[in-house]
Amino acid sequence: MKRVQLEIVFGTILVLLSTAIVVILGIQEPQRMADFEVQQRAELIEFGASVFTINCTRCHGSQAQGITGIAPSLRDEYFFTQRLEEVGWQGGLENYIVSVVTTGRQVSTRPDQYAGATGTSPVMPTWSERFGGPLRDDQIRAVAAFIMNFEPYALGQIPTVEPLVPLADESTPEGRGQAVFVQAGCNACHTISGLSTGNIGPVLDGLASRAGDTVSGLTAEEYIRQSIVEPSAYVVEGFADGLMPQTFGTTLTEEQINDLVAFLLTLQ
Amino acid sequence: MLNALRRRLNIPPRDQWRAAIAKIIDDRVRIITAGLSIRELRAVMRGDPPTEKPNPRYKVITTSFVAHLRPRYYPKASTWFTHTYRLGFFTTFFFIVEVITGVILMVYYIPFPDQAYESILVIESNVFFGELLRDLHRLGAEAMVIFSWLHLLRTYFTGSYKGPRTFTWLTGVILLLITAWLSFTGYLLPWDQLAYWAVTVGTSITESGPVVGPALNLLMRGAPDIGTGGLLRFYLQHVILFPLLAIALISIHYYKVSREHSISLPAVVEETERTPDQKKEDNRRIDLIPDLLSHEVFLVSLGIFIMLVILYFRWFASPLETHANPQQTPLDTKAPWYFWWLQGLLKIDPAAIIEGMVNPIFETFRLGFRLELSKLLNSKFIMGLIVPPTLIIILLAIPYIDRNPSRLARKRPFAIMWGIAWVFIVIALSFMGTPQFGIETPPATRIIQDLAPEEGEGALRLIPYQELQQGIYVVGEEYGPDLCPTLSYQPDPEGDVNNVVVGCPNLTAVFREFSEKLLAAEAEGELPDLNANITVEQVQYNLKRVTPQVEWTDPESGETKTYEHTYYLHQDRPHEE
Repeated sequence: MKRVQLEIVFGTILVLLSTAIVVILGIQEPQRMADFEVQQRAELIEFGASVFTINCTRCHGSQAQGITGIAPSLRDEYFFTQRLEEVGWQGGLENYIVSVVTTGRQVSTRPDQYAGATGTSPVMPTWSERFGGPLRDDQIRAVAAFIMNFEPYALGQIPTVEPLVPLADESTPEGRGQAVFVQAGCNACHTISGLSTGNIGPVLDGLASRAGDTVSGLTAEEYIRQSIVEPSAYVVEGFADGLMPQTFGTTLTEEQINDLVAFLLTLQ
Repeated sequence: MLNALRRRLNIPPRDQWRAAIAKIIDDRVRIITAGLSIRELRAVMRGDPPTEKPNPRYKVITTSFVAHLRPRYYPKASTWFTHTYRLGFFTTFFFIVEVITGVILMVYYIPFPDQAYESILVIESNVFFGELLRDLHRLGAEAMVIFSWLHLLRTYFTGSYKGPRTFTWLTGVILLLITAWLSFTGYLLPWDQLAYWAVTVGTSITESGPVVGPALNLLMRGAPDIGTGGLLRFYLQHVILFPLLAIALISIHYYKVSREHSISLPAVVEETERTPDQKKEDNRRIDLIPDLLSHEVFLVSLGIFIMLVILYFRWFASPLETHANPQQTPLDTKAPWYFWWLQGLLKIDPAAIIEGMVNPIFETFRLGFRLELSKLLNSKFIMGLIVPPTLIIILLAIPYIDRNPSRLARKRPFAIMWGIAWVFIVIALSFMGTPQFGIETPPATRIIQDLAPEEGEGALRLIPYQELQQGIYVVGEEYGPDLCPTLSYQPDPEGDVNNVVVGCPNLTAVFREFSEKLLAAEAEGELPDLNANITVEQVQYNLKRVTPQVEWTDPESGETKTYEHTYYLHQDRPHEE
């Protein structure tokens, strides 16, 4: 065959093969696009988790469980089923989260339960760069995706996952106290080795051994109890007054406070 | 009766119909092909000689606009495959691929920092063939860079830049620069970490320039940092200014070849004695139609086929890292590989080298002073702003520097040696420019980053989600052969039920590697009092947090230091099998 003919023949074969590849890719394309979207959502949630951990855990707790007196839980049934109705939001929850995070809150909607009642403690700050906050819009969308990922769990559709934090032995006051420490959100601000990593308030490691000498006239137990119920009575050097919620005396029962004190007294 | 009607309507008798229709079709074909009849077209496709005289195939070249840009014929010798390797042809081919895919991508891309990255995600997830288009565009860009460099090397080694082709060489070098700038401006557009930091580092070179440096930097970035203005500037350069410049220069470059001096003949043909038979064969005309055209159509189909095969088997995929974050500088910024030589240059500090050579001499003679060049010479300025433009000027001036009239390789040994030397220098500089070269990372950071780099995969991210059993795995502690003996899972939930993995072999392997590297570093004294672990926690029902953590005593200051990095791994995360 002449070169021209050879080239025409092979060229035709190549064009047919190329067409075949494009057709095969075209058949796979809807599936590929769907897969990509699922993976993209997964990556968005991963990214949102890291943004949440850095920016949001101070007030909403390390697991988004909320901190009594400061900020609500973002993983309970109420948040996923009734919150929108309460504030009169017409759209979806994810958009609501994006909106609240972006602009923050000027006035608390539940000053009786969370921060914002006295005017001294801030309500939800503005997070978007557009309004002077630290986060880009894509980071805010990622946080919303992360919070939305609590939904099946919050609605009880899947069983609770056991967290890594050591489980408390609920039969002793100390064990119950440890559970209170996590439930009340103390862990968000205070570090206890092996249990929590909060960095707003003082580290509580070795608290029991130094509590008795901190304020003269108060035993270790009295000092700890006072610090929980009336945090402003004595403020550890280097920390600002008013950081710690003043409401634990009313939100926790007498028994819970007793358990909590018993637990904190074990921190030698 | 019927015949009377026919005469009246001026319809020819039946036996003339076929001829009349054939003539109508033939006329149409002649119009479409700009001069070839059906018979001629058939002869062209079969490689037969022309059917009419004068040769109608030459008529096409005068009547068709597209064909008139092309030469009528080339002498056989200048079409030898081993002479040109079709490198210029393929460079143009990739340019056209870039234009076509680029125009389609422009429909979906939004050049605005808040939306750019997202629009890339939309192209990948929501546009039919979006990923294919993006991959074609990226692959075409890299291929265009490779082929234009190879084309330059071929021209250099065959001596084709010599007169009368000196000006063509000049336009070629400028085209190479345009290609490089096109790829660099395109690099920023996805607005991911890779893009943002490569371009931030790249543009910062201009900052070191005297007087106009900061202004130039501002001009390129649009603001002190690359933002909305900078992205728009890069985008407009990428889609309008430089494509237009490229088209203009390609036109000049090609016009010179097709109208003025043609493709160079191989030096052996021009400068050595050829037998009459060889001469006749060398000068045999290779016509545009059909030989060149069929060859070029074949090459195009070959080029498209190879690109599609590469993409089908995923031997190449355009990278996409996380969203650009001006607040977080990645551990290593990666310039595109074809700029590694420049990055390698920037790692050289000429002032320090001269000081290192001169100061010991001063000390031996006790001259009482030290040379402190670093205060006078900014290495970024010299290696970033003085050396590369000098190299470009030399490259441009090669035809004017090299006055040797011969093009035969054996008669220009110096030029050939220089060429080879430069290829090796560029390769060496590129090696120096790789992100890892010559950059000292603290051991703990390095070990964790090896396990799981900030961007991309890495062993840690490849652990199947099911294997991530909650727990704190402490380095140095004795574990059994597997970290999670009670675990077992089905890697493919919809597949074979008997296909069950027992334990967590991947997690165990990663933990072992992590431990071995750290314990080795501890033994070498880099990480004394080592205290390290990998913590795996469940964050949400389908999300885990993995934190490798290292604590050690700094050998120099005696302080306790820690390094940790947190990774979130979702069940549905992309997973290369």
